[in-house]
Amino acid sequence: MILETQKLAKSFGGLTAVHDVNLHIQEGELVSIIGPNGAGKTTLFNLLTGHISVDSGRVIFKEKDITQLPPHAISRMGIGRSFQRLNIFPRLSAFENIQVAVFSQQRKSRNIFARASKLARHETEAILESVGLLDKKNVTGGLLAHGDQKRLEMGIALAVEPSLLLLDEPTQGMSPKESGELTQLIQKLVRERGLTLIFVEHDMNVVFGISDSIIVLHQGKILFEGKPDKVRKNEEVQRVYLGDERGTWSSLLRK
Amino acid sequence: MNRLVTTLNSHRFLLLLVLLLFLFIVPFVMKESWVSLVNEMLVMALAGCALNLMLGYTGMISFGPAGLYAVGAYTTAILLTRYRFPFAIAVISAPVLAGIIGGLIGWFCVRRSAVYFALLTLAFAQIIWTIIFEWYGFTGGDNGIVSIPIPEFFFTISHCYYLTLTVVGISLLLLWTIVQSPFGKTLQAIRENPGRTEFIAIHLRRYQLSAFVLSSAFLGIAGSLFCIFSGSVFPDYAHWVKSTDMLVICLLGGFYNFGGPIVGSAVYIFLSKIISKETMFWMFFLGVIIVFLVLFMRNGIVGFLSEKLAPALHGTSRPSSDEEAQ
Repeated sequence: MILETQKLAKSFGGLTAVHDVNLHIQEGELVSIIGPNGAGKTTLFNLLTGHISVDSGRVIFKEKDITQLPPHAISRMGIGRSFQRLNIFPRLSAFENIQVAVFSQQRKSRNIFARASKLARHETEAILESVGLLDKKNVTGGLLAHGDQKRLEMGIALAVEPSLLLLDEPTQGMSPKESGELTQLIQKLVRERGLTLIFVEHDMNVVFGISDSIIVLHQGKILFEGKPDKVRKNEEVQRVYLGDERGTWSSLLRK
Repeated sequence: MNRLVTTLNSHRFLLLLVLLLFLFIVPFVMKESWVSLVNEMLVMALAGCALNLMLGYTGMISFGPAGLYAVGAYTTAILLTRYRFPFAIAVISAPVLAGIIGGLIGWFCVRRSAVYFALLTLAFAQIIWTIIFEWYGFTGGDNGIVSIPIPEFFFTISHCYYLTLTVVGISLLLLWTIVQSPFGKTLQAIRENPGRTEFIAIHLRRYQLSAFVLSSAFLGIAGSLFCIFSGSVFPDYAHWVKSTDMLVICLLGGFYNFGGPIVGSAVYIFLSKIISKETMFWMFFLGVIIVFLVLFMRNGIVGFLSEKLAPALHGTSRPSSDEEAQ
């Protein structure tokens, strides 16, 4: 087991965002977390990566308790993440965006006398290539198309060579074509690098297309977890999703 | 025009050489008053670049660089005047002490960001100013310290000028190395998106503090140099008006360029001399300049030029801060 949470809980004021969540993620698994807006998906991610402090419960990563660690320490241990809202370094070039993360991975960030432009070129370009941005390496990050920025962000996350990757709505705001391409890319990267992946996603085609297992979150609790087939057939899950304005759920059920 | 630009760009080193040569012959071709003006430009160029390590490269807006500049100046002044330290030690102590005090101040400041960070730096600089202003027995209070016993060799204005030129040159070279290093790139990433860097295993505050300390040390060098050149120090050195000078120098030249504060310093010091000779309302014109810069030239002179010229040079445009994404 690569990641485990025990009775993880967080509330904001009176609102319980995450309520006694027990996760058991096996190495190499591709897990998606779904649930209506406000189900606590992003909060759960933020708890796992140390972005916000945990009220109670524990997070165990590779058999070590990481509950109280700050984000940079958790990241150093091998948990990478992308964000729901775009999170790149807009005025740096695509190359530099990745290179900064590679420096960190190689523990070169504190090197004050070397010339950055001559270092880690190969590693940086390898990552740019794997996310399909090698030909745009000199483009300023903020000027890339939305889909490319999402790829770039994933590249930044990959550059620190995580063993567990958390992606928060990787295909958000993408056209179906872009979204399909990115899904393929995610699958490829996970396989190539032997990553464990947890991702939050609203696009049910993506979720049911690539997940090994699905966790359904509702009002901060795990409502159901299991293989895609089982989730599809579960009545409780259906009931929660009935009001889903996207209608994706009902269309999937009819399949 | 484009051809001119291309030529200029491809002859960068030649340009630098010409500039250095010019700076080298300044004492031979100029009156003493002009030599001291160029000297001041050099010192403020260093102060501006030191501040810019925080401001432009790390994205930390400090309103209190003058405090650390004054720490450098007073360190040299007090060690020479009160304790008769050897000259070299009095000079070298300036960046060391400025770095240490910068570290103490920075330790508190990096716990807050944006406006709160800026206000903390201002508050600490005012504390330094108050200590200097009130502690008559040690700092000379508002009388400052005059007739500092610098070595006789530096009584000759050109000798002193060459000392400044050499030290500023080496310091700028060091700063240039820093901003081009992996550390410097990491600082730029922090400027762009501090929160994100934590998730690539960067200990954010530690890097911000390092930038603070480095910046302080270089400000200390600038202060020390000015102390040696003028042979005196005054509480004004720590005053917020001095901090404003440094900020405007960065703003004027453009803080997304290494050379920005250097150009800014030259233009600013020149303008302040010219205008303040003609009119008492230098501050009025300063205000007008700031308004103009913020409204129309947000990336300063160097930024403005390279923005207009970059497309001609590279065939692509860089985003200005106005249209920057997220």
